[in-house]
Amino acid sequence: MTGRSSRDTSPVRPRFNWRDFFRRAGWLESVGIVGLPVVTILAALAPWITPFDPLLRVAAAYLPPSTGHWFGTDEIGRDLFSRVILGIQYTWLSGLAIIAFTLIVGSLVGLISGLMGGKIDLVIGRIVDLFIVLPSTLIALAFVAAVGPGLVNTMIALAIFWWPWYARISRDEIRRLKARPHVEAARMAGVRGPRLLLRYLLPGVAPALLIGASLDVANVIMTLSLMSFLGLGLPAPAPELGAMTSRTLDSLTVHWWLPILPAAVIFLLCLLANLAGDGIRAALRGV
Amino acid sequence: MVKHSHRMSSSVTEPFLAVRDLTVTLSREGRPSRVIDGITFDMLPGEVVALVGESGSGKTSIGLTLQGLLPRDYQPLVGGSIRLAGIELVGAASRTWRSVRRRLVRAIPQDPMGALNPTMTIRHQMRESNGGSIEGWLSRTGLPDPGRIADALPHRLSGGQRQRVLIAMAMMARPKLLIADEPTTALDVTVQAQILDLLRALTREQQTAILFVTHDLNVAASLADRVLILYAGRIVEMGRMQDVARNAAHPYSIGLLAARYDLDSDRRRPLITLPFEHVPPVNLASACAYAQRCPIAQLDCTAIRPSLAAASAHGGAAACLHQGQTRFVSAQRVDAKPWPAPAIQATAALRLHNVSKTYPTGNRSFWGRQSQPVLRSVSLTIKLGECVALVGESGAGKSTLLRIAAGLVMPEGGTVTRFDKALPQVVFQDPVAALTPWLTIGEQIGERLRGVSRDSDYARRRVGEAMKLVGLDPVLMDTLPAEMSVGQCQRAVLARAVIVPPRLLLCDEPISAMDVSLAATTLNLLSDLRRRLDMAMLFVTHDLAAARIIADRIAVLKDGELVEVADPDAIVAAPQSAYTRSLIAAMPGPQGGGRR
Repeated sequence: MTGRSSRDTSPVRPRFNWRDFFRRAGWLESVGIVGLPVVTILAALAPWITPFDPLLRVAAAYLPPSTGHWFGTDEIGRDLFSRVILGIQYTWLSGLAIIAFTLIVGSLVGLISGLMGGKIDLVIGRIVDLFIVLPSTLIALAFVAAVGPGLVNTMIALAIFWWPWYARISRDEIRRLKARPHVEAARMAGVRGPRLLLRYLLPGVAPALLIGASLDVANVIMTLSLMSFLGLGLPAPAPELGAMTSRTLDSLTVHWWLPILPAAVIFLLCLLANLAGDGIRAALRGV
Repeated sequence: MVKHSHRMSSSVTEPFLAVRDLTVTLSREGRPSRVIDGITFDMLPGEVVALVGESGSGKTSIGLTLQGLLPRDYQPLVGGSIRLAGIELVGAASRTWRSVRRRLVRAIPQDPMGALNPTMTIRHQMRESNGGSIEGWLSRTGLPDPGRIADALPHRLSGGQRQRVLIAMAMMARPKLLIADEPTTALDVTVQAQILDLLRALTREQQTAILFVTHDLNVAASLADRVLILYAGRIVEMGRMQDVARNAAHPYSIGLLAARYDLDSDRRRPLITLPFEHVPPVNLASACAYAQRCPIAQLDCTAIRPSLAAASAHGGAAACLHQGQTRFVSAQRVDAKPWPAPAIQATAALRLHNVSKTYPTGNRSFWGRQSQPVLRSVSLTIKLGECVALVGESGAGKSTLLRIAAGLVMPEGGTVTRFDKALPQVVFQDPVAALTPWLTIGEQIGERLRGVSRDSDYARRRVGEAMKLVGLDPVLMDTLPAEMSVGQCQRAVLARAVIVPPRLLLCDEPISAMDVSLAATTLNLLSDLRRRLDMAMLFVTHDLAAARIIADRIAVLKDGELVEVADPDAIVAAPQSAYTRSLIAAMPGPQGGGRR
């Protein structure tokens, strides 16, 4: 009753603190979180930072790794390191593009489904289930094989099977939030429609989607590399990590660096993305 | 106190738990704070010691420290000494801790569901504890049909049953020390009374000592032999339960005792509350932690840290520099002016007529889902300006009725008529959960103004006024809920509800999760607001004492039916239904004190 509750209130905690974020993420995971934007920038700048032209012959063929050519040279004498960097650009950027596109589409579908409820929710839910139970990689392979190989077709094939996961996440999160007292209180305060969605629901859904998306980057990269390994990516001269590995696989015992080094880079990219995903999850959930 | 227990030890028993100068520092967000600050006490076998304090006083941390289970995320630093049955536990290896937890110390948690594995039957989980027949132990806790309970999964059991299972599980290991952290807070009064009886019987039978952590002095008084009163991580008073309950020596204990309300409290005037809300104290090393709130604080209180010394009023000890003056604290009690009579009009603010509702149960049959009635044709009218309290145990259908009144749930039968089209406002049980974590307090309080005006200066002014009305500093307008205390969140929720005063305010158990003094403060605030703003109110609670204090009429709900609607004093003095009588009988109270 005494009106003096808090002139001397507790010290106000800063809204967001990066040091804290990284402490909760863990140090190894923090490397992943920092690595994510670094790799993205490197991938975007790839054509300008390659030491040699990745498409032209620059030295003798089959040179093993050395200080001049870090990853050695391939069967025509192209610099493998430059080719790998360009390969990172293809794989990484198209992976991110697929994630971004499916994230937007999927979460929109999920939001509608979760908000509307009832019959609409039921129908959308069944469609989402249908896409999720299909053997996605197999059908994506068949799709690309039928339409013809190429980067855009591969991306479409993957996107078709990726969005339902985000639809499911955002639908469940919306349903969970809708029953929370603070959203009911907002509804009792007369908040409706887009305002309710944008101010009271979406900020609560975003962390779960962000966690899901960051953990998926590695998955998408693996699948993309698998498809190019099977010859369904870009046509031959273009440097693609999966394709480079598969084309030179038969020379593994003679020129080990040709298949091993691009494959190792795929592995490192996936590791980085997974670490970042784990770190983001730990930091946002406070685990 | 220390000397006292040593004297006792020579006769029969050693103090098997000796805590000396215990300090615990936890780091939150990289900032260390001392949650337990130099605590010393002993426990004897078979003794029940109550640990009483407000939320944030460190009482739960003491329980966790004694189990070696302080959350590792907070980088706990423990100093001082804990000797349990001759084993030093501070700095002990994790092997020692494991064996101590297995053989000596057990705990009963506050949330009985969270402590049981939902995928294992009770029998399976109890087998993890060694010793004795499972059915035997279950039946000793007063559970009927222990065989059926043993083979059930936790979600099939009620809250009271789960709590008894956990007690059986803890007692099965025949621990020397049982730590019970608010074991009855989540339970109804009738179940609570049974659990307290059970704990009492078990200590007698097995010489188990119980450290009973609670914020409720009434519950503590009905069980404990001794009490430790905790404030800001320090013991401010300790002594025999009856001594402290009758003649408290520390101003904080006196305030805490005075803030208790029961069926005999004066309902015509505001309840006595502790002065101000808890504020994190500054410069603790050389000050009394209570100095900022203490009504008799003097200059030296902020300069000298008082140590526990023999209490003048009883055989225990108290940490106060001015024990001689504490009788003046109690002298302040009768200054509150009586409430003005509420302006009740003949017109109904809310009329529920033959309202019924069923919920589907988990059992699916071939023909669709089975359903169970939660409300069976309930009729209740609340007049403009009137406050009606709806009392009942969990599962009685109280919350459903409130949600139907709010329009959040549609009834299946019957009609709901409100005085006007404007939405009633709801105050939910948990004030922190009722605020959106990512929006500032001001934004949320001002939300209902959008129907009136979109002008932001106007909105800020009105929000400021509403915050002042509920006793919240308008400076807090731009803070997030996580930066405020529970009490402040509760005020913010109320400010949002009354910024445009509604005809009808619906309160869903607004005080059940609060400690005594905060509950009393909230009851006062609600009583004041409804009179000032002429609001009708539906106050849902399981606490008959609170209902009697705030309401003009009380409606008792049992299994979806109204069994009694009457004037509060009439209901307490001469309950008409057997159910109401059982509710009154189960109210915990200080034995010999309380009821006149």
